[in-house]
Amino acid sequence: MDFKLTEEQELIRRNMREFAETYVDPIAAEIDENSRHPGELFQKLAAGDWMGIPIPTEYGGAGADYLTHALVVEELSRSCSSTGFTVSIHVGIACMLTLLFGNEDQKQKYLIPMAKGEKLGAFVLTEPGAGTDVMSATSTAVLEGDEYVLNGVKTFTSNGPTGDTYFVFAWTDKEAGRKGMSAFIVPKGTPGMQAGEHFNKMGLRSSQTSEMLFKNCRIPKGNLIGKEGAGLMLAMTGFDHGRVGIAAQSVGILQAALDESIKWSKERVQFGKPIARQQAISWMIADMATDLDAARFLTYRAAWMKDQGVPFSKEAAMAKLFAAEAAMKHTTKAVQIHGGYGYVKGAKVERLFRDAKITEIYEGTSEAQRMVISGNVLR
Amino acid sequence: MPNIIACFKWVIDEAYIRAGSSGELDMRSVNYKLSDYDRNAIEEAARIKEEHGGTVIALTVGIPGGTKGLKDALSRGPDKACFISDPSFENLEPSQTAAILADVIGRKLDYDLIICGEGSSDLYARQVGPRLAETLGIPCISFVQKLTIDGNRIIAERKVEEGIEVTAAPMPALVTVVPDINNPRIPGVKDTLTASKKEVITITKDDLSSAYEPTLRTVSMTAASMERNCVKFTAEPSDITAFIEALAKEGVLR
Repeated sequence: MDFKLTEEQELIRRNMREFAETYVDPIAAEIDENSRHPGELFQKLAAGDWMGIPIPTEYGGAGADYLTHALVVEELSRSCSSTGFTVSIHVGIACMLTLLFGNEDQKQKYLIPMAKGEKLGAFVLTEPGAGTDVMSATSTAVLEGDEYVLNGVKTFTSNGPTGDTYFVFAWTDKEAGRKGMSAFIVPKGTPGMQAGEHFNKMGLRSSQTSEMLFKNCRIPKGNLIGKEGAGLMLAMTGFDHGRVGIAAQSVGILQAALDESIKWSKERVQFGKPIARQQAISWMIADMATDLDAARFLTYRAAWMKDQGVPFSKEAAMAKLFAAEAAMKHTTKAVQIHGGYGYVKGAKVERLFRDAKITEIYEGTSEAQRMVISGNVLR
Repeated sequence: MPNIIACFKWVIDEAYIRAGSSGELDMRSVNYKLSDYDRNAIEEAARIKEEHGGTVIALTVGIPGGTKGLKDALSRGPDKACFISDPSFENLEPSQTAAILADVIGRKLDYDLIICGEGSSDLYARQVGPRLAETLGIPCISFVQKLTIDGNRIIAERKVEEGIEVTAAPMPALVTVVPDINNPRIPGVKDTLTASKKEVITITKDDLSSAYEPTLRTVSMTAASMERNCVKFTAEPSDITAFIEALAKEGVLR
């Protein structure tokens, strides 16, 4: 068994660390406060080939493996969870779905600009009445001549207001149940598709989230991705890949919580000595460091299995479940270690605490992960 | 179109060095990195190439395990690397490094300009550049913060205590650069992935024309430590007296 990353993976991780320290750290608090999508930062990410790492070079990507992508999401999230997530959903779901299920025309037209970072992808599945219960969705796609006509209301769409290439899920045959949903690529600017206002969220504030409205939105028949009726399978495959990214994002948040807690507890003096020398604090840090390693290895294993070409659905769900819950638990502890200073805006742990919560909710709640895991182990 | 050699050293990343219980340096779990100023040297070579054409060779001397350092250097723009490697090259002293580099450069490499970092991140002896130039018999300009190619000569701005000194030298020449000269690029993903496909010329100890023996002996290396005493003093005269007494007690004042 080899726990070592390759030299390339180590170098890429370190380069992303330097990138994040140089370009992300200085703006992370501001984009959180203002809920701002940092377009200038994403241009730099595109220039360094950070927006399509596991996509082959002939389709505009960097041609590296999925583990490398996970390492980069981790390091980005360590500085800014919103930015790490935006890269994660763009690559892990939008790019990967096009790579795995798109036909050659769709890859040429949509994957190449996404993998180069020129266009941003968005995943449009959730509806006001259909969260974990995907089957209760009501959006429809009806074939009329050479066009599908989309109607429906979607919500909590990440990259909704800022996306360029939308992956929209709707019923083509509601009667067919699990084989009745289909997936479509809808480019920005298509008449009948409208993004709502960016939600004012608790955390993950610079990642843009909105409703998406579809009213007689007509798209060419050729924008169906995968076969008609394969939508649910595409969504679940997208989640498998995306969850490795959310796990990596949670690991990044945890690492940052540990970094901040170590730094602060060595500096903060109470009762005549740094609080790091108080057992109450040092044990919190020991638990944090241990869960961080556990979360990290679960995440790397899931990514590694994806790279090996073996099923990784259960492992991705385990990584996402454990890492997300560990991130929430230990950002709470990190605020506790900081005391009042951690409760004030401007303290990094305050932002980490708010950003951690969403990792237990999106791309499948912790409960949904337990459904996937138990479904696998009880089979 | 100058042929440029950028020299670099693969050093222990000081962030990973820990102090042992009796003050010794614990280097069992260290990581390595490109010496900081050598990143500026490689960057400057890559920038000159981008502006004037020519070639850049990244040159280093070290132990055989240092392949990650070669990839790191090559991901920053050089066309190829030259690696002088032997298991005995672990703790070379500056005079040995300079002699080995001069041996290889003088006999095997074509060059117009050699760029070195002003000093290495680990020991910062600042010897290799000037010794190398002296051995090769070419001009050396140190403390360079701006470098311009002007036909067959270089014009260099030196950062000196009194201000800035502008100096010119005919090529071939050697410069040692300070960090003010540029901001080293952060390699993109593809830069790193393609680096391992670039050519590496490997030179062994047997290819050298002489054995270069060390002349220095390192007796010991210990960690500096800073412990907080958590004693506070105000500007009151009584506190100032107490402050001086405390410094004397600690042995800071004698």
